[in-house]
Amino acid sequence: MLRRNPHALAGAYALDALTGAERARFTRHLAACATCPAEVRGLFATAAELGLAAAATPPPALKGRVLADVAALAGARAVDAEIAALLSAPDALVASGSTSAGGSATVVASLRAAAMVFTSTGLPALPPSSVYELWFIGGGGARPAGLVPRTAAPVLAPGLSGGDVIGVTVEPAGGSPAPTTTPIVVLTLPSPA
Amino acid sequence: MEPIRPAPNTVPRAGADLDELLRLVARGDQVAFETVYDKVSAPVFGLIRRVLRDPAQSEEVAQEALLEVWRTAERFDPARGTAVAWVMTIAHRRAVDRVRAETAATDREARAAAIAPTGPTDEVAEAVESSLEAERVRRCMGGLSDLQRQSIQLAYYSGYTYPQVASVLGVALGTVKTRIRDGLKRLRDCLGVSW
Repeated sequence: MLRRNPHALAGAYALDALTGAERARFTRHLAACATCPAEVRGLFATAAELGLAAAATPPPALKGRVLADVAALAGARAVDAEIAALLSAPDALVASGSTSAGGSATVVASLRAAAMVFTSTGLPALPPSSVYELWFIGGGGARPAGLVPRTAAPVLAPGLSGGDVIGVTVEPAGGSPAPTTTPIVVLTLPSPA
Repeated sequence: MEPIRPAPNTVPRAGADLDELLRLVARGDQVAFETVYDKVSAPVFGLIRRVLRDPAQSEEVAQEALLEVWRTAERFDPARGTAVAWVMTIAHRRAVDRVRAETAATDREARAAAIAPTGPTDEVAEAVESSLEAERVRRCMGGLSDLQRQSIQLAYYSGYTYPQVASVLGVALGTVKTRIRDGLKRLRDCLGVSW
């Protein structure tokens, strides 16, 4: 009764040769079958041997591309974790406001972490020659705090000091070391509790 | 036909320490990932190219597969198989997904591939890197029945579903199922695969 014996699919399963529905059926069977996992493990290991036998050195450029992607993913993962951590920091302070250019800006800042997360919605798109730049503005003047990506993704900006306000200006692409235009918004954090 | 004997397991492997490296990768260790890349990129790329044939597309899919290794390393479970098998499964699945997403090769092409002097020799001709490994596989493939060998080659190296294999070879579905399973088991025993 071959048709009724789901075991018979183990080989095709190990070679990725099942169709979607049968794959699902076999996966269910696998979960309930005492002897299958060992068999499937052995067949997958055998399939892997077939793969190893086909080994061929990839073009050298592939390595650089893969490692660069990995570095970018690792960076995003690390930044995401930091953003998440900062957004839930026990001492987080929040300020938001509309900008003179349109849209609104919000910062969540932690003095303990000496950093802020800047987010925005509805900021008008800029021509490629310009960019929104963030500033920490304190007693000593304005310090660059990073550029707002064109995707308007959150920006994690380290370097916040107590007493800083946060400004946003429009700058030439690449940003400026000091503001060259009037801020479209200045956000003042509430006093720490 | 020569009896199939287990081959001595003398070929240097991608390494038992791949397990440990994957654990490091799961924690975000980019240096460990580079070592993983050095160990698995040739098998990953070679397998994908075997399935897809097109070199540019193969590079693209290999890049995706290797990134998937980075992203999902934490899901690797040594209890469910070896690290090499896990990586090769990812590579194969990516290649197969790509093949099936495009309208796969026509039956005619496949039929030609199936009847061509298939010998396993032909199938592994490009496998310069691990020629010892390839030689063991070639030898063991040679011990299978024609139907077992062709079914496995079409499914694994061409990315066919087993119903496609059945239609290409002109045999019943159930026959293909059992030939693939029996053939793989014979290969497993012949190769002395540990799992």
